[in-house]
Amino acid sequence: MARETNLIKIIGEDNFQKLRSSKCLLVGAGGIGSELLKDLILMEFGEIHIVDLDTIDLSNLNRQFLFRQKDIKQPKSTTAVKAVQHFNNSKLVPYQGNVMDTSTFPLHWFEQFDIIFNALDNLAARRYVNKMSQFLSLPLLESGTAGFDGYMQPIIPGQTECFECTKKETPKTFPVCTIRSTPSQPIHCIVWAKNFLFNQLFASDASTNEEGNNDWGTDDAEEIKRIKQETNELHELQKIIISKDESRVPEILHKLFIQDINKLLAIENLWKTRTKPTPLSDSQIRGPCKTNKFDSNSVGTIHEQINHFVKITQKLMNRYAMEQSHIEFDKDDADTLEFVVTAANIRSHIFNIPMKSVFDIKQIAGNIIPAIATTNAIIAGLSSLISLRVLNLLKYAPVSKFTDLNMTFTAKASNLSQNRYLSNPKLAPPNCNCPVCSRVSRGVIKLSPDQLKKMKLSDLIGLIRDKYDYAEDISLLDASEQRLLADYDFEDLNDRTLFEVNLGNGSIILFSDEEGDTMVRKSIELYLDVNDEFPDDTCKLPDIRVPLVKSSDTLSNGDENEEKEENNDVATATDNQEEDGIVILDDDEGEIEMVTGPLNSSKKRSADPEDLSEPSSKRKKLTNESASSDIIELD
Amino acid sequence: MTEGKLSEDEIALYDRQIRLWGMAAQANMRSARVLLINLGAIGSEITKSIVLSGIGHLTVLDGHRVTEEDLGSQFFVGSEDVGQWKLDAAKERIQDLNPRVELKFDKQVLHEKDETFFQQFDLVVATEMKADEAIKVNKLTRKLNIPLYVTGSNGLFAYVFIDLIEFVSEDDKLQSIRPTVVGPVSSNRSIIEITTRKDEEDETKSYERIKTKNSYKSLEEVLRTATLKEKLTRRQLKRVTSILPLTLTLLQQELNEGSETIGFELLNQEAAVWCGKLGAPVAILNDDYTQQIINQRYIEFAPVAAIIGGTVAQDVINILGKRLSPLNNFIVFDGITLDMPIFEF
Repeated sequence: MARETNLIKIIGEDNFQKLRSSKCLLVGAGGIGSELLKDLILMEFGEIHIVDLDTIDLSNLNRQFLFRQKDIKQPKSTTAVKAVQHFNNSKLVPYQGNVMDTSTFPLHWFEQFDIIFNALDNLAARRYVNKMSQFLSLPLLESGTAGFDGYMQPIIPGQTECFECTKKETPKTFPVCTIRSTPSQPIHCIVWAKNFLFNQLFASDASTNEEGNNDWGTDDAEEIKRIKQETNELHELQKIIISKDESRVPEILHKLFIQDINKLLAIENLWKTRTKPTPLSDSQIRGPCKTNKFDSNSVGTIHEQINHFVKITQKLMNRYAMEQSHIEFDKDDADTLEFVVTAANIRSHIFNIPMKSVFDIKQIAGNIIPAIATTNAIIAGLSSLISLRVLNLLKYAPVSKFTDLNMTFTAKASNLSQNRYLSNPKLAPPNCNCPVCSRVSRGVIKLSPDQLKKMKLSDLIGLIRDKYDYAEDISLLDASEQRLLADYDFEDLNDRTLFEVNLGNGSIILFSDEEGDTMVRKSIELYLDVNDEFPDDTCKLPDIRVPLVKSSDTLSNGDENEEKEENNDVATATDNQEEDGIVILDDDEGEIEMVTGPLNSSKKRSADPEDLSEPSSKRKKLTNESASSDIIELD
Repeated sequence: MTEGKLSEDEIALYDRQIRLWGMAAQANMRSARVLLINLGAIGSEITKSIVLSGIGHLTVLDGHRVTEEDLGSQFFVGSEDVGQWKLDAAKERIQDLNPRVELKFDKQVLHEKDETFFQQFDLVVATEMKADEAIKVNKLTRKLNIPLYVTGSNGLFAYVFIDLIEFVSEDDKLQSIRPTVVGPVSSNRSIIEITTRKDEEDETKSYERIKTKNSYKSLEEVLRTATLKEKLTRRQLKRVTSILPLTLTLLQQELNEGSETIGFELLNQEAAVWCGKLGAPVAILNDDYTQQIINQRYIEFAPVAAIIGGTVAQDVINILGKRLSPLNNFIVFDGITLDMPIFEF
């Protein structure tokens, strides 16, 4: 008996050999990634490459079982590889890097793999890897978890839905006036403290997240004027921070929590249907200043909040000078968190909103998504298990078409069903409206570096037009940066070289027919693979057929607006106050920022609220019961 | 480990799960004592998850030595451990997962353990166990009123049996237009009390706290009386996975014949009898599945162990934390279609 004896009983000797010679890419070595690494090793994959950008944090240790206290701050990828040595029997190649970094991970690097496992925590990287899988026709196993909820979806390019075929939840925003004038929930005050006040006082350029957000949530000209004026005035407060004069902190309190509130009270329209706020009193502001450390789980009195606000503002004032006049909010920077907690709570108190503990506010301000070992183990197990079928290694369950394979998501744990632990709908074929996998043709242009430097943009346009039989009127977009390179009335760049217009290895360009009224040539998305190893003068366009389609069935320049519209939808949707604490704040790591469910931990498992899971259309198909409060993490 | 409030260190370490189940559940878990029988592939997964979660005490009972085959599905042992007691090889690696958990490793064999041994635990998880052994353990756990999970796998196929004897769970649910009503909801579950309360921040919303009484049967009784008649519709019965009658047949074989091997014909015959008892058409049986469950009998496979181990561990955590309704009472998993239905017997 050997270690592979049992595996051979399941998949057979010849398929075992295939598995031993397979190379897989594991993107992410966090919650799902640690679990997947273990599973893939025990399944005897020949070679496993692991990419992760992150380092280990204390809060990872409740689930990322390969990491220990002593590993905190070490890179996840290399630490994970060391931790599995005692049971490892595969060739493991770790990388600490960003999978979207084309200089480290160019397209041809992805080409070496037979299958990709995603174990990511953010939408941008998921989208990117999905695209790479589409460019190279590599099967991708996508997965994600959030608390008790999880999903796993195999993606077979051209055969099944890709990651972009279903609409993803986009970050939620609040109307400006809710945040600035009429907060009614703790979240509104937290957003105010973190995204607005903190930046006004401590950011070097005091940019607020309101820029570009045209959703004021009010038509009241008086109120809009007041909001704009207040922004300017608050920025003046930064001078107090710059002065480093600790005795002036009460001036900040006075401005924020008395003067501005009184101005709000003067706009009577605002309070016809709302409870009026009560500004702090002068005596509250000049209270004695003794401070104990905050207990993370209790709220304390308004008096304590004010004392802490003063202390922490003084501390940040001194840090501001030492840190080049710029402090970023970071949920793990206790000072910045305490500032946001106290400012938010004082504002809540004024608006008759319950105050929240440090623990609760950290969750919202830091966009923390709950994560547990068990869901990750289950989802990783499903992802590794289905890879046997994706690679067609089960003889007694041959795959004749990939739409016979199953995706899965948690059903019982997500309160979607009492009679199944997992739901396992069959995979859907690609969505014909998907901008990523259906509405464009796709291929790779192989270019030698000398060509990049000498080929003019107009030459490239000519080559593409001739090769795929496009009409005269076309547009060319740098799709990686959403930048127009050329169209019928923009030819300024045409005489520049590809290099001069900032195209290079890893650039993705979108070439579209802008001429036909009813029938057009389908748009083509081309990945620039610039490689030293290609001989000079190489410029090889992919040999693919680009069909004529109805003009509505392809993606062209004009479709850019789509995304903007979606954002507006979201903004209006959340205007509705019934929304259950879904928040989005900008996040430095660009993670998907969703926190659902009420703040109060005792009702976190409410069974009914909106289904926010990614494959939401599927869930609804599957269950008649009301959907649960899920989110997809993305760990 | 003392009861009461969590320390700031514990709150920081368990942050991501406390945000899911709350401080009280985490504190409840810290005072719980669990017994795991057999540290195989599923046993390793369960151990990993519940040790990471921060339960108070875990005893692992396993009298096996590490074999070459173990290396193909287990991550607490390595090739240098072959021939050693498995617990000796694994114990440091397990403790390393979470130094806060009190661990005990016991190499004695199961049949030397008596009532007083079992008495010290709040919950027992039995893995890699023949039905006759499982029923013996179940008799003890019933007598001592201790919740029991029994789980095992045959390659790509697996099952979980749950016997919490009687368990009242509390769930919070946002009140819908049709409020929940008191009374039976299925053969083993009955809502006994509903209290409503308003949302603190949003007066338009109400939450229901629903108390549900879960009843269970012993494994012996399940193997004697299990049926789906009058529980599932005809349409649902036609779609019952063949893993269910096959699993029940194998368990019954172990019990009646003490047999670890079974031929294709006999298994198909007996499974057909089980279809009759369940009320499902014999047509649900499928020769490929029958053959594969024989070929893969008793094999533990890492991805399946992860799925089943994760499922059991989560339910253990839920009931120790005294939150959420528990599983009730028989689950099978089909590793080909990823189907994982829950049956109430």
